[in-house]
Amino acid sequence: MTLELHQLHKTFGAHEAVKSLEVEVEEGAMFGMLGSNGAGKTTTFRMILGLLDPSHGSALWKQERIGYHRTHLFGYLPEERGLFPKLTVKDQLIYLMKLNKMKRPDILTAMDYWLDRFQIQEYKDKKVEELSKGNQQKIQFMAAVLHRPELLILDEPFSGLDPVNADMLKAAVLDLQREGTTIVFSSHQMRNVEELCDDILILKRGEPVLQGHLSEIKRSYDMKRVSIKTDMPLDFLDDAEGILEREDTKLETRLKVENEAVAEKLFHEAASRGFLRKFELEEPSLHDIFLDKAGEENDD
Amino acid sequence: MMTNFWTTFLHTAGRRIRSKAFMISTGIMALLIFGFFQVPALLDAAGGGEDPEPLQVYVEDHSAFEGEAAERLAERDGFVFYEPSDDAEADADAPRSGGVVLSGSPASLDAAFYSIPAVEEGVIEQDIQQVKDQLAAESAGLPEEDLEALTAPISVERVPVEGETQQAEAGSGEYWMVYILVFAIYLIVLTFGSMIATEVATEKSSRVMELIVSSINPVTQMFGKLAGIGAAGVINLSILGGAALAGAWLTGEEAVQFFFDDILNLSLIGFALLFILLGYFLYGGIAAMLGALVSRAEEVNQAIQPLIFLAMIAFFLSIIALNIPDATVFRVLSYVPFFAPQLLFLRIGMGTVPGWEAALIILILVVSAVLINIAAARIYKGGVLMYGKFSFKEGIRQALTLSRKES
Repeated sequence: MTLELHQLHKTFGAHEAVKSLEVEVEEGAMFGMLGSNGAGKTTTFRMILGLLDPSHGSALWKQERIGYHRTHLFGYLPEERGLFPKLTVKDQLIYLMKLNKMKRPDILTAMDYWLDRFQIQEYKDKKVEELSKGNQQKIQFMAAVLHRPELLILDEPFSGLDPVNADMLKAAVLDLQREGTTIVFSSHQMRNVEELCDDILILKRGEPVLQGHLSEIKRSYDMKRVSIKTDMPLDFLDDAEGILEREDTKLETRLKVENEAVAEKLFHEAASRGFLRKFELEEPSLHDIFLDKAGEENDD
Repeated sequence: MMTNFWTTFLHTAGRRIRSKAFMISTGIMALLIFGFFQVPALLDAAGGGEDPEPLQVYVEDHSAFEGEAAERLAERDGFVFYEPSDDAEADADAPRSGGVVLSGSPASLDAAFYSIPAVEEGVIEQDIQQVKDQLAAESAGLPEEDLEALTAPISVERVPVEGETQQAEAGSGEYWMVYILVFAIYLIVLTFGSMIATEVATEKSSRVMELIVSSINPVTQMFGKLAGIGAAGVINLSILGGAALAGAWLTGEEAVQFFFDDILNLSLIGFALLFILLGYFLYGGIAAMLGALVSRAEEVNQAIQPLIFLAMIAFFLSIIALNIPDATVFRVLSYVPFFAPQLLFLRIGMGTVPGWEAALIILILVVSAVLINIAAARIYKGGVLMYGKFSFKEGIRQALTLSRKES
C-alpha cells in the first residue's frame, strides 16, 4: 500500500467534515472518490496534502506522514482552479515547479513536452488571463504533473471541459498511471469514474457509504437493472413486488429491481405468459449506485 | 524549506521590480526628487542667467555729521556716496531708489530707506549703526583700543547642565533626522503594509494560493513574501535616495555638505535602520495576516484599516513627542510595541533615554514582533484556505480553527 488513510477525521468546530476514513490505495492505482457537494472530498484531499491537519487519524504515503518536507512527491489539481493571471505560462510554471524542487532546464524540457502534447505551444509566452478557459485548465493540469509526482490528486479534473479536451486530458491521466503514478480523483461525472477507476469510495456527509473494487461492487450490488422487450402487455408488473422503478419506452420496458431474485421471478412470470424478444439482466451503473447511496438528498 | 523561502523571495521581489508600475513610479519619483534640487538653479537661469548685480546703495547725508557718515559708509562694500547738488531741480531728479537718506543729529540719527530689498535691510542698518557709533565715539575722544573693545562681538557657547532637560543638546540635525525617520516609518507601514496585504489577497482571489500552499509551507511563503517586498522597497528607496544625492551634488556642495555635517549622524542612522526593520517586520506580519483573511483584493483596504489607524496614531504621537520627548506619557507609550519604533527612536535621537531602557524596549519589541508573527502565521495558514465574507472576529476564529491540529 502506498497511500493509507487511517481513521482520518476532521471537525471544524461542531461540524464533522470527514468521519473516520479508512482508505488504502495501491501504488499505481486509480482511485475515485465520489460524493455530492459538501461530502468531504476536498477536505480529505487537503488533509492528504497536508494543507489541513486531521483532527485525529493520519494520512501516510509509503508509511510516512505527509508533510511539507516532501510535497514535491505530490501533484494537485484543486477544484477551484487558480493560476497567476498576470504571469506568462512559462514564468508561472517555472515558479510553481521550482517550489517543487525542479531545476530550470528540467522545467523547460517538461513544459515543452506537455505544451506539445496539448497542442498549445504558441501560448508559452502569453499571460494566463489571455487564454481560453479550456487552455487555462490544461496549464493547471501541467502545474499538477510537470514535476512527475508519485501521487497525483485531481479534484474534479474534467469539469468545464469540452469533450475533445476532456478526452485529451483523460488520455494524459491514463498515460501517467501507466508510467506508475498513483492517482486519486474525484468527479461528478460517473462515466469518467467508470472508465478510469479501479477502486472507488462514496462519501456522504463525510462518511464512507460504499467502498471497494468497482467491478466487484457492481457485481455484488443487490440492485439490478432489467430490460424487457415483448409484444404482449406487461400488466402483471403492476402487482409484482421488488420493483423500485419502472420506465416504459417505445422500444422496451426498463426496470430497477431490488435484487437478482426479483429479476428471476419476473423472468419466469413473463416467460410463462408468452414470447419474450429480450429479457436482459444488467449490473447497475455507477450512476444508479451513487444515487442509491448518496443521492436522495443533497447535502449542501 | 530554505530553498522555497528564496524561491518565493526572488519571485516576489523580481516580479515587483520588473513590473511596469514599479519602474514607472520609481522613475517618476526619482526624476521629481532630482528635479526638486535643480529648482533654484533653474529659477536663476530663467531670471537672466547671470548673478544679479551686487546691490548699490546711494547714501545722501543731511545729518549733523555733514557728509562724514556718508563718506565712511561709502568705504564699505555696496555703498556709493551721493552728494546732493545745489541745483534744486537736479536734486529732484536725483535717484532716490536703492538709496538711504540720513538726517537728524548723532543722538537721534534717522535713516530713510528707499527701495531697499527687505533681506538687505538688517545688514545696512547694522552698517549705519556701526558708522554712527564710530563717529560718536571719535567725537567723544575715545582711544582706538576702547573703540575696538566697544564693537567687538561676544562669543556664545552652549553647555548642557546635568539633570536638566537635554533637548538643547540635541542639535537641529538630530531633530530633523528623527522627524524624517518617524515620517518614513509611517510611509513604509502605509505603502508596504497595503502592498503585502494586496499581494496575499490577490493570490487568494485568483485561487492560485491553494496550489502554492500545497507545495510550500504557508508560513515560509509568508516570510518569503515579507522579505521579497521589503527588498523591492529597499531598492526603491535606494534609487530615490541616490537621485536625491545626485541632485544635491549637481547643485553645488553646500547642500550636500550641510546634509553630511548637520543632518547625518551615523549611530542614529544605525538605529533608524534597526527600527525601520523591526517596524516593518511587526506591521508587515499583521498586514500579511489581514490579507489572508479577505477573499478579494477589493476588501484589502477595509481589512488593513486598523493597521493604518495604528500607524497614524503612532505618527501623531511622535510629532507631539518631538517637542516634549521627556513627558512621562511618551516614556510609557514607547514601551508599546506598535509605537516603540517611532517613539523609542525619537527618545534616542533627542537624547533622553538611558541605555538600559533602550535595550529593554528593543527586547520587548523584538519578542513581541516574533510572537505577533507566529500568531499571524497561524492565522495566515488557515486564512489562505478560507473564502467568504470578510469579518475580523469570525475570520480570525475560523482561520485558527482551520489551522488547528486538535479540536
